[in-house]
Amino acid sequence: MANLGFLSGIRREICRLASRRIYFFGMVLVPLFVTVFFMSILHEGLPERVPTAVVDLDHSSLSRAITRNLEAMQTIDVDHFCETYDAAMEEVRRGNIFGFFVIPANFEKETLGGRKPTLEYYSNLTYFVPGTLAFKGFKTVSVATSAGIIKQTLSSAGVDPTKEASLIQPLSLDIYGLNNPWMNYAIYLCPSFTFCTLALMVMLMTVFSITLEIKNGTSRRWLETSHGSIGMAVTSKLLTHNIVWFPITLLIVWLLFGYSHFPMNGSMGWMIAASLLLVVASQAFGLFASCVVPNPRMAFIICALFGILSFSFAGFSFPVQNMYGAIGIFSYLAPIRHWFLIYINEALNGVGLYYSRYYFAALIAFLFVPVALLGRLKKACLNPVYVP
Amino acid sequence: MGRVFRNEFRLIVGDIGVLLFFIALPLAYPVIYTLIYNPEVVNKMPVAVVDDSRTMQSRDFVRKASASPAIDIYAYCNDMAEARRLMADGDVFGIMEIPRDYARCIGRGETAHVSFFCDMSLLLRYRTFAAALTDLQLNVISDITGDKIDAAGLGSLTGGGTPMLFESKSNFLGDSEQGFASFIIPGIVILILQQSMLLGVCMLGGTSRERRSRNRGIDPLQIQAPATATVWGKALAYTVFYIPLTIYVMRFIPEMFDLPHYGNPVDYLLFIFPMLLATAFLGQGLNVIIKERETVFVVIVFTSVVFLFLSGLTWPRYAMSTLWTWAGNCIPATWGVDGFIKINSNAATLPEVGNDFSALWILSAIYMLFALWSTKYINTLYSVNVNKPTTKTPKV
Repeated sequence: MANLGFLSGIRREICRLASRRIYFFGMVLVPLFVTVFFMSILHEGLPERVPTAVVDLDHSSLSRAITRNLEAMQTIDVDHFCETYDAAMEEVRRGNIFGFFVIPANFEKETLGGRKPTLEYYSNLTYFVPGTLAFKGFKTVSVATSAGIIKQTLSSAGVDPTKEASLIQPLSLDIYGLNNPWMNYAIYLCPSFTFCTLALMVMLMTVFSITLEIKNGTSRRWLETSHGSIGMAVTSKLLTHNIVWFPITLLIVWLLFGYSHFPMNGSMGWMIAASLLLVVASQAFGLFASCVVPNPRMAFIICALFGILSFSFAGFSFPVQNMYGAIGIFSYLAPIRHWFLIYINEALNGVGLYYSRYYFAALIAFLFVPVALLGRLKKACLNPVYVP
Repeated sequence: MGRVFRNEFRLIVGDIGVLLFFIALPLAYPVIYTLIYNPEVVNKMPVAVVDDSRTMQSRDFVRKASASPAIDIYAYCNDMAEARRLMADGDVFGIMEIPRDYARCIGRGETAHVSFFCDMSLLLRYRTFAAALTDLQLNVISDITGDKIDAAGLGSLTGGGTPMLFESKSNFLGDSEQGFASFIIPGIVILILQQSMLLGVCMLGGTSRERRSRNRGIDPLQIQAPATATVWGKALAYTVFYIPLTIYVMRFIPEMFDLPHYGNPVDYLLFIFPMLLATAFLGQGLNVIIKERETVFVVIVFTSVVFLFLSGLTWPRYAMSTLWTWAGNCIPATWGVDGFIKINSNAATLPEVGNDFSALWILSAIYMLFALWSTKYINTLYSVNVNKPTTKTPKV
């Protein structure tokens, strides 16, 4: 190995990594900061106590009972009482509340008289999560209130109490959220976003390290260190980066699944393997971009564009299956998509390695993509031309 | 200042890298993002059914379930093991289990139970399933109970037929289709404005610093002017350059894709001006850490994700800790996103977003001071006498 220039390549790269603070910033600080950021910002899991309002136009004992029920809901917090619909709408527009519940005038009278009045509730979906939680709270209260009144009516008519429940609710549909029964947002956002940022930084730092050799005209010396073999030059350079990337990745895995106890229902070993493969696959992607356009600007733009877009089309929040086919297909070009599917299978659902076999294969396949294009990079390294 | 303004314009137009950020990015990104999220709602999600009851009632239940737009009955499985295999393979995202005694319970007047096991990899799927199943439950209940109440002769007590004493009506504000693109795009476009401008401004700054270190502390392409004039001239150049793109992003993107666009254009264009100004100053301030063109990719790109969360678009700000609330307060886009969403989707007027508007002006003032400090600090780094021209022919 030594006379192939492998060790000298590694020695040279270690000096380069140590020579500039930007490497420490991009490879250590950013990934760790983002991990801690997501762990801390999503700490609550579910943003309960959504600020909402009640517009009570009835002022009856029934409407007050409904207001009390609303106040007792876990998901919402009734902290505004508005006189009119318009006043409540203004609070929505000012962003003070995320929804409101309107009890119309004469509500009690019409309900007891059997004239079926209408309760209306408004949820502001411009902010999806609190809007949805407000909607859920409102809906529960409106259904439960109706059932409560019927129960009372039936009791007063002398119906057997054991039959009441089945008359009001003859069917109970129980929804079980598998492996995340708390609807915890951190579980579903934190690992995916953290690792997507890691993948982004790996791509960018790979491009940075390779194309700066071309920009600064040091690429010839880089090739000479490995006796003119571009394969050896690239391998020694990127493997040296892994002296930093691998411990950082392991640290992130530990922070998430060890320290913060994110669900780990499958094998920790395979999860670590997938995470390390993600790093190497992202390096391969960065290398690929540097080979296709061996100048800093375009290679960076490709990786930044793709890295940022993968937050969206990796399907962390909107499912790939529901995207347009022509868009959804891009998701499989991002290494993070395969990591994400492994994470779902291994960590969240714990269904076993067999079901993740294709995703592991895909991550490994990324390593071979740039090989064919290394010649291009070598040519650019021998004649470094910097296009600003 | 006027000369700095004109010169900066020339520098922007002359630098393809910066033009990519200043023009291509705000032009293309909103379109790409909207195309990703444009299907808006998640529907026809495959579900496996394990029907142990195998009765007319249970089949009726499944028929009603499959009528829901959210649910697509993918397969009938013999047992739970088979259904779980389908789920592990990723073929279905939910399993509906109807127990053996389903029809018997309904006939006897007891509560029947149906279980639905939902894959939780994506909360949007869970949300859609939960909403659809609640409707399904209410629908089936009202059928069963209606029959029973009539049969028991209690119709007169409950207002006849269905057991509901009053109707309830749900209204969604701002995003009436509950669509994902309608929710996220108005916020994202503002973030794109800020981030693309930051990237471009920092790239211009980094390039200028590269020229300075090559030319003994003087940037030959820069007009030598006092720091205040430089900072204001540049900031105005960037802001003016952004006006057409801002109109495109705020006015035409929502209209092109038929996303919510209820606000008054005058309101939101006036509103966004201080955000552009604050961003232009912030970018110049950040030049203090950008020594090189390429550094911007490492330093700025990842912040998009952080700023997206700080803005409260995906995670509401009231649920954040004080630290992150304050961190968010320092980002122009936090206020920009909040204000624009209110104007664009909820039809708020400028006075109603007064909080956001004044916060943006305060940030502009703070970042102007930051940019001034940064410009002066960089000057001292290269320790140049601004008025002394170089004797050597400058290298560009």
